[in-house]
Amino acid sequence: MKRQQIINGVIALVIGVLIFVTPFIFIGLTAVKSAAEASQLGLSWPSEWLFWDNLVAVIQARNYMLLLAYFNSTVITVGAISLLVISAAMIGYVIQRRPSKWNGFIYALILAGLMIPPAVVPTIWLLKELHLFKTLHGMILIQVAYGLSFSVLLFRSFIASIPRDLDEAAIIDGAKPWQVFFKVILPLLKPVTVTVILVQSVTIFNDFTNPLYYLPGKDNVTVQLTLYNFQSQFSSQMNLLFMNILLVTIPPLIMFIFFNKQIVKGMTAGAVKG
Amino acid sequence: MATVRLKNIHKEFNGVKILKGIDLDVNDGEFCVFVGPSGCGKSTLLRIISGLEDATSGTIEIGEKDVTKSDPIDRGIAMVFQSYALYPHLTVRDNIGFGLSLAKRPKSEIKERVNAAAEMLQLESLLDRKPKDLSGGQRQRVAIGRAIVREPEVFLFDEPLSNLDAALRSKMRIELTELHATLNATMIYVTHDQIEAMTMADKIVVLNAGHIEQVGTPMELYHHPQTPFVAGFIGSPKMNLFEGAIAKEHNADLYGIRPEHLTLSPKEGKWKGVVKHIEQLGADAIVHIHVESLGMLVARADGDFSITAGSTIYATPQEGKEHLF
Repeated sequence: MKRQQIINGVIALVIGVLIFVTPFIFIGLTAVKSAAEASQLGLSWPSEWLFWDNLVAVIQARNYMLLLAYFNSTVITVGAISLLVISAAMIGYVIQRRPSKWNGFIYALILAGLMIPPAVVPTIWLLKELHLFKTLHGMILIQVAYGLSFSVLLFRSFIASIPRDLDEAAIIDGAKPWQVFFKVILPLLKPVTVTVILVQSVTIFNDFTNPLYYLPGKDNVTVQLTLYNFQSQFSSQMNLLFMNILLVTIPPLIMFIFFNKQIVKGMTAGAVKG
Repeated sequence: MATVRLKNIHKEFNGVKILKGIDLDVNDGEFCVFVGPSGCGKSTLLRIISGLEDATSGTIEIGEKDVTKSDPIDRGIAMVFQSYALYPHLTVRDNIGFGLSLAKRPKSEIKERVNAAAEMLQLESLLDRKPKDLSGGQRQRVAIGRAIVREPEVFLFDEPLSNLDAALRSKMRIELTELHATLNATMIYVTHDQIEAMTMADKIVVLNAGHIEQVGTPMELYHHPQTPFVAGFIGSPKMNLFEGAIAKEHNADLYGIRPEHLTLSPKEGKWKGVVKHIEQLGADAIVHIHVESLGMLVARADGDFSITAGSTIYATPQEGKEHLF
């Protein structure tokens, strides 16, 4: 490697660290400071480390609201992801394998789902009519609807890379259409399924605005909304707010760190063909 | 085992006629090869027999039963695909037994039949491997095993050897012929490779542009081609075909002579020409000769025949070996 290349690499690394790592250091440091120190919002070293005290305070705040929020967010994420993966894989399979005159219209709908921003008030009105407003399963359906277009496109392009001969071999072997899908195609969708699970679960788990609109109520709190609650309650206690940020950031962060390669693999698979 | 009877099969895709009225009987236990150039409709015809594709019109009978509207599974057929189409996530054992497990056969029976098929194809040591861990020839054998295990009445092969290298292809040709002899099953085999057709078939069906040009045994097609297309398609190198004076001399539109039915001599003969190119194959040499009155003429000579490009040579057709159309 040439000297100039090394210098360029080091400069890129320093910029990268400044942009991506500094915020995490700031969160980490503020989260362990005392209330007074944290209110200065600086990158200074804490005079005393209050990690455990702040952690307990955040968890106990508002009658263990954070734990309830974790439970709610987990239910929403798991429920939405399960529905999303199964329905997106099936839709992707059908539109890829069975071209019809409706395909153009279906694609238009999928693209509309990606491009047109959701209208909140009519959605709330619809949810109310369906008695789904302020319910976890209503929230799950919202998340499925919002994530479906992207997931269908990922599945569709991946399925395009699976030879049609496999479907036909299964049909010759006596498989019914649902058996072709569940016994032959679905097991082969593992890479893209993992990608969809990771990307969408992080999105849904981190979602702040949608639960804010569609899931009001103290019992319905999700992890990101606990930040909102803290901000009003402890407006001067930035240390607790940042400890809370730290706690709700960790699960998605871990997923990204461990499954980073898998995400890229699933995103690019099927990109060449189809 | 069963006969396959096709009656007036037509197929259209978006108004384009792919098959234009195919009538064909494949007898019980026969090894029938569909051969023809790319796009002649041979694979489409096989897919129509399998039930993967519907005929626009016409009927298909397998074993005296009209199966035109039946699902593939109810036709008593098994198919081997060009790409092998093995299920990548299943082991060889599960690939072979997939059809039986779908049919909800008892586990002991599946095991027994899979083992029997594996033994026949020498796959016993590979049963627990995944398809990605197998060579091309092994994958092809697994695909054949998957067909055998279902004990179908008719085997369908869609260019099964075209992904293999030349040496393996020749080996698999022999294996398939032996398999046919062992099972004595009706087999329909699609290929564009006339060597496969000639070496394996009991009956060859030559297809061209959606219709049957000729049906016959390999030697019938070789010795008595009924159309110029068959004459040109069967045999390698292909038959020399000439219009014009030479054809008129024999009161025909087209005069044909196979390269192996030309005798070459440096001194005398019927046609004098100049050697343009020589393809040396070892045992044989394919000689391309330019003859003033005919154009390019291809002859097969003995590998030891001493000749160089640019030299003058005489070619003489062997008596009674000419083909007239």
